[in-house]
Amino acid sequence: MLVQFYNVSKVYPNGAKALDDISIQIDRGEFVFLMGASGAGKSTLVKMLFREELPTRGQIFLASRSVVRMKRSDVPQLRRNMGIVFQDFKLLEKKTVAENIAFAMEVVGAASKDIRVRVPEVIGMVGLKGKENCFPNELSGGEQQRVGIARALANRPLLLIADEPTGNLDINTSQEIMELLFDINRKGTTVIMASHARELVRAARKRVIMLQTGRVVDDSPNGESLL
Amino acid sequence: MRPGSIIYFFREAGKSLKRNRLLSFATITTVAVCILILGFGVLFTLNASNFMKHLEADVQIRAFLDQDLTSSQISDIGREIEAIPGVKSHEFFSRDEALGKMQKEFGRKEYDLKSTLGKNPLPHTYIVKVANPQEVARVADRINKLPGVYKVNYGKGTVERLFQVTRWLRIIGIVFIVLLLVGAIFLIATTIRLAIFARRKEIYLMKLIGSTDWFIRWPFFLEGIFLSIVGALVSIGILASAYGSLISKMHNLFFIQLVTDSAILGHLYLGLLAAGALLGVVGTGISLNRFLKV
Repeated sequence: MLVQFYNVSKVYPNGAKALDDISIQIDRGEFVFLMGASGAGKSTLVKMLFREELPTRGQIFLASRSVVRMKRSDVPQLRRNMGIVFQDFKLLEKKTVAENIAFAMEVVGAASKDIRVRVPEVIGMVGLKGKENCFPNELSGGEQQRVGIARALANRPLLLIADEPTGNLDINTSQEIMELLFDINRKGTTVIMASHARELVRAARKRVIMLQTGRVVDDSPNGESLL
Repeated sequence: MRPGSIIYFFREAGKSLKRNRLLSFATITTVAVCILILGFGVLFTLNASNFMKHLEADVQIRAFLDQDLTSSQISDIGREIEAIPGVKSHEFFSRDEALGKMQKEFGRKEYDLKSTLGKNPLPHTYIVKVANPQEVARVADRINKLPGVYKVNYGKGTVERLFQVTRWLRIIGIVFIVLLLVGAIFLIATTIRLAIFARRKEIYLMKLIGSTDWFIRWPFFLEGIFLSIVGALVSIGILASAYGSLISKMHNLFFIQLVTDSAILGHLYLGLLAAGALLGVVGTGISLNRFLKV
């Protein structure tokens, strides 16, 4: 098992209950959708994976290591095992495509010769050859998200976490991004994607975990519940 | 730490300096103003304490001797004074010399004091200086107990008040400098926070990608140290030329002796430079920590 949640609950300091007794297991190589309306707890669950939030109760394991009991100094190592794709891309406006991707490797102290090899590699993987020296504002939304995905892949993560990656994109572009994520999953990377785009998720025929007011209301291996 | 990372830190610090020219300028100016005020404060305190040291060093004990002593008894007393711990120097002043001095000061040529008074009423005197002015009361007390000494005068009361005043002035000087330092740290921290705030998205990303806190801190620290050293150098330049011209204009004009010892001034300027660098580090540290809590 790559990801394990055991009886995880989260109550924010203001009293809002975000997650209520969640237990989930995700295997290596899986592609899992987290679905639910806004406020269902998707974002909280995703943030717990990379320890931006800690549960109020319960345990979380990533590759058999406790995320909850982990020392603060071990958190960077945990995060290096994951790539994160954001809804709003979070690209650095003053860096080119290549620099944005190289940035992810530089900040974890990668050797510059590795960076020189890996950056063109991932640019090729996401289909952005020829756009290396463009700045984010010269790219379309879909292209910007491809840069975001390339950046997430740069450090060869075990797990790719995508939080509403198609939330800001039109339907055609969304489908292209989904294809890219499936492709990455086929090559062995586990993908967890939070989304509320019902059509997109249904068409994928992948495992769907449905959240409602902080509880898992359905967990179907091929998205049957959406049919 | 890999050498590649060190190159990265310097490159990032350099890039950020170029990118945020206005904020860099603001930081340099803030540091320069703070260090300038601090420098003036320290120079003032230094000179005030130098002046006080002169005042204190002028404190001396006058030991008046009995009238009918032989010259060997007088020199015995001198030896005994010398043996008292804390005595720096002593000087004998005979009654004839004392009268001569008095004649010069008060009688001028019109009056012959000796014939007016009939005989010399003044006693032989030892003028004693102590190594540590704070010990003057204790030493005076010891001298007073020597046989052959009938009275000791060291400005009792006045000296104690002088010491109290100088002690308070020193404490006020130190408190003033500490307050200035604290104020400077917050001012600089605020300026640097603006620069960091502009890059909070980048810091957040670095944290989520798996950067360690120190990896994120280093370029900011280098930038902070560089800017505050430049600021400190500017203010030291201004301070040194201002003080230099003050020394040359005030030379022999005032009864207050300005501190001109180049070794002391050199230490002061180096200290201000170090204080500037330290302000940069502390200011950056305070501002940065808030953004690292992800």
